[in-house]
Amino acid sequence: MNEFLSGMAAALCLVAGLFFLRFWKKTRDRFFAFFAASFWLMALHRMVNLYMRDNNENLVGVYAIRLVAFVLILVAIIDKNRAAPRK
Amino acid sequence: MADAVFLLCAVTSLACAVLLLRGYAQNRVPLLLWSSLCFVGLAVNNMLLVADLIVFPGRDLLLFRNLSGFLSMALLVFGLVWDSE
Repeated sequence: MNEFLSGMAAALCLVAGLFFLRFWKKTRDRFFAFFAASFWLMALHRMVNLYMRDNNENLVGVYAIRLVAFVLILVAIIDKNRAAPRK
Repeated sequence: MADAVFLLCAVTSLACAVLLLRGYAQNRVPLLLWSSLCFVGLAVNNMLLVADLIVFPGRDLLLFRNLSGFLSMALLVFGLVWDSE
């Protein structure tokens, strides 16, 4: 069950990344490029996590991928706010 | 080191959720709402990770962690399919 749910989440991350890639192609707004990269990193994190599940040595590296994904979203939001400051 | 990474994941995902919700409150773009809901779920996911691995060591919460991660992503993809023209 856990592997199934994690695999489903990874596949959904890949699909979400594809949607954001399409938005980026359409609008050329790099906000969407950051989102696409982030969701693909989350998918990568889940795949690596499944591969490494019996080996706790590289746990930091595995979750560092997830951390980079969230930092990318924060970068995207900050970048967007800097580009269009509030009135 | 691992604990710090888990905690940072929780903090950054929560920050993403808050900033996206704030963005939705200002702009009312549906995509921002779905993204916010997704990141609220991912923040819960990361808090469960901290609870599971730091507060209550063991792997008892793995099912809830995977379930919250899956539901968050399902919500986002549902929103993307539903709202993108």
